[in-house]
Amino acid sequence: MEETMSTKEAILSRLRSNTRETYDMPSLKALHAITYPDPVEEFKTKAQTVGGARLLEAKKGDDLNALICQIYSDAGIIASNLPGVEAQLNPDTVAQAQDLETADVGVIQGHIGVAENACVWIPQTMKERAVCFASQRLVILLSKENIVNNMHEAYARIEQSDEYFCDYKFGTFISGPSKTADIEGALVYGAQAARAVTIVLF
Amino acid sequence: MSTQHSKAAAAYLRDEAVVTRHDQTFFAVRQKRDRMAQALPEWEQLRETADQIKRHTATHLAQYLEQFEANATRNGVHVHWAADAAEYNSIVYDILRSHDVKKVVKSKSMLTEECHLNSSLEAKGIEVVETDLGERILQMMQLAPSHIVMPALHVHREDIGDCFRSKIADYDEIAKGYAAISPEPHDENDPTFLTYVARMHLRRQFMEAGAGMTGANFGVAATGDVVVCTNEGNADMSTSIPRLHIVSMGIEKLIPDLSSLAVFQRLLARCGTGQETTVYTSQFRGPRPGGEMHIILVDNGRSEILGNPEHWQTLKCMRCGACMNTCPVYRRSAGYSYTYFIPGPIGINLGMLRNPKTYSDNVSACSLCCSCDNVCPVRVDLSSQVYRWRQQLDSLGRADEMKKFMSGGMSLLFNHPLFYKLALRLSPLVNWLPSSLLNSRFNPWASGHKMMKFPKKSFHELWKKL
Ligand code: SF4
Ligand code: SF4
Repeated sequence: MEETMSTKEAILSRLRSNTRETYDMPSLKALHAITYPDPVEEFKTKAQTVGGARLLEAKKGDDLNALICQIYSDAGIIASNLPGVEAQLNPDTVAQAQDLETADVGVIQGHIGVAENACVWIPQTMKERAVCFASQRLVILLSKENIVNNMHEAYARIEQSDEYFCDYKFGTFISGPSKTADIEGALVYGAQAARAVTIVLF
Repeated sequence: MSTQHSKAAAAYLRDEAVVTRHDQTFFAVRQKRDRMAQALPEWEQLRETADQIKRHTATHLAQYLEQFEANATRNGVHVHWAADAAEYNSIVYDILRSHDVKKVVKSKSMLTEECHLNSSLEAKGIEVVETDLGERILQMMQLAPSHIVMPALHVHREDIGDCFRSKIADYDEIAKGYAAISPEPHDENDPTFLTYVARMHLRRQFMEAGAGMTGANFGVAATGDVVVCTNEGNADMSTSIPRLHIVSMGIEKLIPDLSSLAVFQRLLARCGTGQETTVYTSQFRGPRPGGEMHIILVDNGRSEILGNPEHWQTLKCMRCGACMNTCPVYRRSAGYSYTYFIPGPIGINLGMLRNPKTYSDNVSACSLCCSCDNVCPVRVDLSSQVYRWRQQLDSLGRADEMKKFMSGGMSLLFNHPLFYKLALRLSPLVNWLPSSLLNSRFNPWASGHKMMKFPKKSFHELWKKL
């Protein structure tokens, strides 16, 4: 432990003595980031083009389980801890994260949608977040009311309220299915994580 | 006498088809980046802000590091400090050993490359599995990365297919599984099929591993968060299945707060790969339930760079790769022609900062076209830095051979028609350079005479138009 302290102190003192002139933090107020006449429409377009996700519009009160069946009719094992979702696996109660690898479809709740790039903020609200990644396919629920223009607005929300970093110490923006272009630049969906994503807009 | 880079580049240039493909692949990424830039009216303002935030953070780094450590510790994270590669490697090993870990899954990190972590762990009997598809391909083929973001784009599908068939034990079983979900006949080297093979192979690794390692694209001082961006989701698979998460973070990756994070998140993928965003932008604030999270803050020369008045701005770099994609020399000589493990404009400079005697060959790999400066999201003064290194070659005892090489540059151009055509196409850009740069005694093309003005259209271009 003592040695760790000395490394830390040595690094910090080198940094202090090697700092010559200093620069002020710029004000971000002057940065006028892009906004859209209709952020929901922009989000819908971007989710399908940029994200490569499917998009489904639902009405409040629609039967969620019927919707999931309709989206992925061949789904075997569904994993979710959302109230009202009929699931065979619950990420709150599985013995270990590995168990979620068998999930065909994970159903999770998005809290913010970003119009400029189709990112959806998913705070960890389940014990094992592997449901967001290891499931073969994902259904992300999102309310239209929670769509913002750009990442500045999204991070401002996350910064200002605890509700966007809820129960666990993790959150992620997901914009669509896992993808790669590592083999000769050819775009392929379904790299390591979910190979398909459907966003259900309420 | 020529430099290592020029010799390697000349050898590379012999296969025109390979060169052209490499060039076009990366130029296409550069063009995608341009479309991203044009789509945002605030683009230049965003770059300027990013530059200013990085300047500010780099010159207040000690205070931000202390703040970061305090917040991360409060969040339940174990924070370690490593002065150099050896200390870093031994911290990682100690953590893994204390958890009796035999296999580690790892997402891409240039820092671990810089510190030679994999070989250090493997020597001690710990299996390291790269999980980024490109990195995994290279690891199985025992090749080094040729680019920092798209590390295996130079490898051809046939070779990847051969490698998978010979090295992945359950290849046949996986291929059968693919036939069940995709019954149409397919080429055995089809990228979709090969990606599926890798997916199934890697999924097994995630299940078996005792720890997940990631780099950090950003560390947020105000919250203690670490942010990791990937398209494949491999960093998330690596950290949501094994319970132990080790983050390796260069101390320059720090940014002040979440408002700053928005600026950098918006720039990173747009600049690096020409995408609006990476698929995953994951924010780690602490360990998983029942898990453990460690962050190792690595110096390894960075605190010294801060004191270098001519090169401290390399600390602003966020490793997006844009400068490589645009660099005409990189595109036409490829990663392995450079002697430092990071190639291209930023690699020339980082190599010189690592060890100027060892890596000075790379400073010749630049036509001073300034394109890198114009695409860098944090406005690192890349080409001016390369120029300054050339000025300093005298004191390294490398100037004479380098000057001879650079004078020999013209014969290199005339002997290699591809280089020649490229240089001609770029020559109008030279008009933009300040004359102090052009007429220096270290520009052998300028020695003894003023630099000529290049016409806006080169003769070749005009001739083709007729
Ligand atoms: S200035 Fe040099 S390093 Fe930068 S893009 Fe041009 S040739 Fe490459
Ligand atoms: S120097 Fe700039 S362009 Fe090059 S990798 Fe770093 S941030 Fe990207």
